[in-house]
Amino acid sequence: MSASPLPNPAFTRRRALQLFGLGAATVALAGCSPTGTSGAASGAAGLNGADPTDFAFASWSLTEEAAKPALEAIIADYEKANGVSVKPTAFPYNEYINQLMLQVTGGQFTGAAHVDVAWLGSLAATGKLQDLSSLAKGRGYTDAALTAATFDGVQYALPWTIGAIGLVTNSEILGKVGVAPDAFPTTIDDFEKTLKDLKGLGGGLIPYAASTKAAQLKDILIWMQTFGSPLVDGDTITIGDDASIEAVAWYKSLYDQGLIAADVDRFDARSLFAQGRAAIYDDAPVGRGAVTGESPDPDLGSKLVPVSRPVLAAGDTPRALVWGGAIAVVSGSGAATAGDFAQFATSDLDTILADYAVRGLPPATEDALSSDAIASDVFGTQFSERITATATANPLWAFTAYSQIEAEVADRVQAVLVGSSSPKDAMKEAGAAARKLAG
Amino acid sequence: MTTAPELTQANKSHTKSLRASLSSKPQRLGDGIFAILLVVPGLALMAVVVAYPLVSALVTAFFKQSLVLPGREFVGLQNIIDVLQGNFFQLLQQTLVFTLGTTIAPFVIGFALALALNTQIRGTKIMRGLMLIPWLVPGVVVSFLWMWIFNANYGVMNAILEPFGIEPQAWLAQPGTAMFAVIVAKTWQSFPWMMVMLLAGLQTVPRELHEAAEMDGAGTIRRFFSITVPQLSGIIGLVVLLEFIWNFQHFDIIYVLTGGGPAGTTETFATSVYETAFHGFDLGRAGALGLLWLVLLMALVVVYVRFSEKGEKR
Repeated sequence: MSASPLPNPAFTRRRALQLFGLGAATVALAGCSPTGTSGAASGAAGLNGADPTDFAFASWSLTEEAAKPALEAIIADYEKANGVSVKPTAFPYNEYINQLMLQVTGGQFTGAAHVDVAWLGSLAATGKLQDLSSLAKGRGYTDAALTAATFDGVQYALPWTIGAIGLVTNSEILGKVGVAPDAFPTTIDDFEKTLKDLKGLGGGLIPYAASTKAAQLKDILIWMQTFGSPLVDGDTITIGDDASIEAVAWYKSLYDQGLIAADVDRFDARSLFAQGRAAIYDDAPVGRGAVTGESPDPDLGSKLVPVSRPVLAAGDTPRALVWGGAIAVVSGSGAATAGDFAQFATSDLDTILADYAVRGLPPATEDALSSDAIASDVFGTQFSERITATATANPLWAFTAYSQIEAEVADRVQAVLVGSSSPKDAMKEAGAAARKLAG
Repeated sequence: MTTAPELTQANKSHTKSLRASLSSKPQRLGDGIFAILLVVPGLALMAVVVAYPLVSALVTAFFKQSLVLPGREFVGLQNIIDVLQGNFFQLLQQTLVFTLGTTIAPFVIGFALALALNTQIRGTKIMRGLMLIPWLVPGVVVSFLWMWIFNANYGVMNAILEPFGIEPQAWLAQPGTAMFAVIVAKTWQSFPWMMVMLLAGLQTVPRELHEAAEMDGAGTIRRFFSITVPQLSGIIGLVVLLEFIWNFQHFDIIYVLTGGGPAGTTETFATSVYETAFHGFDLGRAGALGLLWLVLLMALVVVYVRFSEKGEKR
């Protein structure tokens, strides 16, 4: 595990737990407004005394060099302990949900599937996910984490990593424009000024490697919330309101000024950041392994500082998006053993700590969160304190057509960025399309 | 126990029936039935892997149906009306731009190279082999190669142009350049096929024709337009038409390189049907789009068949 040598603010395990809990607790609030028509597949989850059998395990992390070793180790440990063979299935993150949906609905995939908690609604709609509530009992998962892996009141997955996506900075580059790690701009106006100062450094530096490719333009949603859009009011999607239009207009102005760059998604942003060509980007803690592993700078790990997202007006609460991974079980061949594997991967303490050392994603059980290994990780605790603490779930996750809604919004925002549409027209269209999809 | 007279009687009757069967005319399978029997396995396979999915997809055009939710509802022509009132004509225009660009550019490059390789200069055999490499590279690999070349932030193209004072461009992220970039990538992949076909055609043009024309004072350009092109007209028509039909259906390079973006400006029928069905999960709309696309493709196929028949008569 890489520990940052940056100054560690007074931070106790109890405090860490409070912060993890506080951030994740917001998931519970957002997760209470499901609109799905899903139902769990029948049959009790887990082995229930039966002999383990071979099964398949799908994960996007198996396509990522930095994260892959962690998952391979978990799979190898489980195979060795149970004398079974786990068939790995991998799709890149940007394609994952669509490929998984196709395989699940086509009956080609059964077993354990690593899922983003945002996708639970869509996957639950297939009616092929097992209810894992019996496997969740007595394993020490935090209540908030369990709720994050729940949809429509059903425990469709076991929580694995519950964290957030927020701003990650390179403190060395920020230092060149006189911004200390603890004095990162708190308002949008000051943030934009810092971006301009960073651009003034020249050398092709991209001040903020924000997502501009459609595949990751969902990142705009958190800026919409920062500008005051609720995204969903009751059961109605509010995209197209003044705040969302203002957020997109601001994003476009950053694009036009060259403060954010064209043709960037999460993976491009990591590459640019790793090469020292970007000063700020959005990521989850898992990105730390990717950028430090890819960087020619051996000290980059010590320069990484997570910061709170700037707010519209001083005093507002910084926004961050909850980002959680969970393991769901698709009923069919090998599902019983897949349930047992899901429980092992997400709640066995040694397994979790070994996983954390590689991926750095906050786990979902009380004992893991209070372990020395996690509480003493400076980057991890800073991330929790500054980002996860105020993170909220995306209210659009409550809709089974979430991934289509996200795509509609992303396409329209991209049209604004390339000048094909005005922020107002684009967001009005996006809102109408999203409401139609929500039904 | 059987007696000897009984055995003799049995042998006689067996021999009689054998003679009768040998003297009768053998049963012959008619040519028509024989042909049908030969074709049946192929037809059955086609019915299973082509006809059924095709008909099923086309029928879907008349239903409101999700890829992931059970059930469907008959909506008549509504999906087709929605598609026509939506971005159908924009898609048609973009598909035609892509198709024309990726047919004309490889044809021009392929023809020029075929003419060069048809001369007696040294190294033509090696060049022929080397030129085929882009055609042998899988489409997805070609796409990633060009994605790296055209990347806005660390791409090779910008690095090449920068010393000439040209500002870095977001080739794949600007509506003005994205389609150009996609056409360039597809052209790079498909010009070798054009070159090979046209070179094969050029080698069938009798050298005597050129020599005679040269003696009559015809220059290179005159001979090109008066001998080479007319002699190759059949094969030119064929490769251009086939390339046009293939490009009209092309998917992988566009999808990997731009995903139809930015803002849908490189979206074609192929990528749009895929996006609608497998990302939007809207099978009804995808089926309607596919139906309209098929109608346009059928028109092209009719042209191809007519052209082939004309060639055969010649």
